[in-house]
Amino acid sequence: MPSWTQLQPFIVTGLSLGGVYALSGTGIVVLYRTTGVLNLAFGAIGMFGAFLSWQLIHEEGWPQGLGFLAAVAFSVVAMWLYGMVFGPPLAQRDPLVKASATLGFALILLGASSWIWSAAGGATRFQPIPTDTHHFSVGEAMVNWTQVIALAVGVLVVVLTGALLRFTRLGTAMRALANDREVSAVLGVPVRRVEAVAWLWAGVLSGVSGLLLSDLVGLDQVTLTFIVLISSVAAALIARLRSILGTLVAGLGIGLVDACAQPFSGISRYHDMAPFVLALVGLLFVTRKGGALAGRRIV
Amino acid sequence: MRRNLVRGRVTAVLGVAALTTALVVGVTSSSGAASTSVSQSKGGKSVCGLGNGKKATGSPIKLGAINTQQPGTDFTDIGLMAKAYFDCVNANGGIYGHRIAFTEETESTTAQTASAAAKKLIEGIKVVGLVGNSSIIEADINHKYYEQKGFYVIGAGIAVSAYSTSHFASINMGPRYSSDGAAQWALSKKPDKLIFDQSNVPGTGYNAGGVALIAKKYKVPYKLETDNVPIQDGKSVAQRLVQDAGKNGVVVLNFTPPEALKILQGAQQQGLQDDVKAWACSTPCNTDFLAASLGPGWYGKLGVNAELNLTSAKAPDSALYRSVLKQYGKAVKGGLGSFSQMGFTAGRIATQALLDMGPNATYTAKTVNAAFKAVKDFKTDILCKPWYYGKGSFHLPNNTDRTVTPSKDGKVMVQLQGCFGIDPVDPEVAAARKIEAKQ
Repeated sequence: MPSWTQLQPFIVTGLSLGGVYALSGTGIVVLYRTTGVLNLAFGAIGMFGAFLSWQLIHEEGWPQGLGFLAAVAFSVVAMWLYGMVFGPPLAQRDPLVKASATLGFALILLGASSWIWSAAGGATRFQPIPTDTHHFSVGEAMVNWTQVIALAVGVLVVVLTGALLRFTRLGTAMRALANDREVSAVLGVPVRRVEAVAWLWAGVLSGVSGLLLSDLVGLDQVTLTFIVLISSVAAALIARLRSILGTLVAGLGIGLVDACAQPFSGISRYHDMAPFVLALVGLLFVTRKGGALAGRRIV
Repeated sequence: MRRNLVRGRVTAVLGVAALTTALVVGVTSSSGAASTSVSQSKGGKSVCGLGNGKKATGSPIKLGAINTQQPGTDFTDIGLMAKAYFDCVNANGGIYGHRIAFTEETESTTAQTASAAAKKLIEGIKVVGLVGNSSIIEADINHKYYEQKGFYVIGAGIAVSAYSTSHFASINMGPRYSSDGAAQWALSKKPDKLIFDQSNVPGTGYNAGGVALIAKKYKVPYKLETDNVPIQDGKSVAQRLVQDAGKNGVVVLNFTPPEALKILQGAQQQGLQDDVKAWACSTPCNTDFLAASLGPGWYGKLGVNAELNLTSAKAPDSALYRSVLKQYGKAVKGGLGSFSQMGFTAGRIATQALLDMGPNATYTAKTVNAAFKAVKDFKTDILCKPWYYGKGSFHLPNNTDRTVTPSKDGKVMVQLQGCFGIDPVDPEVAAARKIEAKQ
């Protein structure tokens, strides 16, 4: 049984990762609420952007800031293009078909990145963010500013997105689309434009998440594409794919449970199950409530 | 070169994406199998094969390899570097005028792909020898098939069967004995506890056996820990390992380079490097990629077991390795490193075995594999001791290693400890030494 002192570093790690899960989860929820697409390519797009920025910074000599901007720009463009090209033809299809299509996109990006940034010869890559080297102590835990930024950005995005949905015309339009796309269109909601904004915003969040995770977790294709995605989707599902605040709480919860299980020797090796178990519980809960994945009636 | 390749690929992929969306050895290396009549060296320099500068145009001798390739794990450099060496041999007279035709097959860590690759090479392409096999599972899946077909593979092992079976001999010593070597270095720091952490993957339990025996011999408390891969939270793993090891403990890692990097980076970001006596790592960590990713601050603090010489070594085979890689190894994506060194060495051993068959030999699967099996006392500066195949029911010809560490400037790996023997408290090491004593 770890002491409180021993537990503190794990809480710091859990909160920082939880902040990014909340950030990603928010992107997933906003997109789902607006377009009905559960975007399983969210992690892959951010991953590809992070690798691209690594390439530009470490191999091409770009300034770090420009490289990071390029990552976000790639994610925005890739997400928006996918939404504009594949969104309309799939708009009337089953949510499962829409989710599967994004999974296909994720696999294409994963394959392409594995080909470009091969692991051959034991190649490993790391993309440090300058804030890594600035530390301070909280109790017995050493905290670096990247961890603070991860948590702060997660919270900030949740607050901003919540305010956007609640207090702006765009937010109202997004919520209207979530309720009924056709009726909203008849009532004059500019469906394509609102959806485009949702795809763009999801792209920004995907790019920022990818960059933060490439530092916090590592620049690793499979991890960034799937493992982190599971935690983020789990956060979104626990929030029933509708509550932004719920996504924040769930994201932080998953991060904390995952990290804090590490020092308990009895359950340490099962800590990775946290998002799976919590996602499963979330799915059961959503299904019981009427099936978010069966349609958009729930939102 | 690598940068241009990657840049080209980035451009290609972005171009395709845009279009789609718009549309919708050895100081002498004179090994001897049947004889030592032909040496791959001239005037003190190592050369490829006969080294006569004449292009081989004769009938082909078909060889092949099977390597793992999947996202995050790619061992194709080993086969590709063996091919690069054979290309150099073909440009230098081949095997008495015969050229070596080399085919590399890949598998994706499934029994089906591993089995299909072996059948394709042996029954489809009809290769007469396998050189440079390196896979997470292939040896376990195919070793019985190789025994049936009479193939003696010269490979770079990972799976248990790459060491414990009669028809597979590896250039490297593999994860179990490499972990032994890493633990030996860590124990030289006189810790009061040793934590050994590796991936929670079926089969890796075997790798921990030697470390446990060595820790017991040194009377140091030992704990085995495992982590699921890919690791999602390297910081927490590093924190847990440091807490479990304690201030006077050591941590030994046995992971692929990306996973080990996550843990070491996690330790670095939390300032945990100095919270244990030492960190150690099995061979996969021996890459300049890892040293460069970690940066300064790990010199002497992280000991990495090295099954092969430094790629920068000033010695004949190492010089030839660099030259072949530069001239013929454009497809070797990882460049200089232990993967390409293993491919080079496997290719060089196979070439020596073929040359030792003599100029009038017939190159069939039977004769070629007999020549592979007969290899003994193959000297190369890339390995600490001469390499051999032999008739043993298991093969552990590489059982003497070095220790390397990230350089002070954090750019490359440098040697920290010269050649030392893996502790024979691990029973197969002791058995291998007995075999060697009889040779």
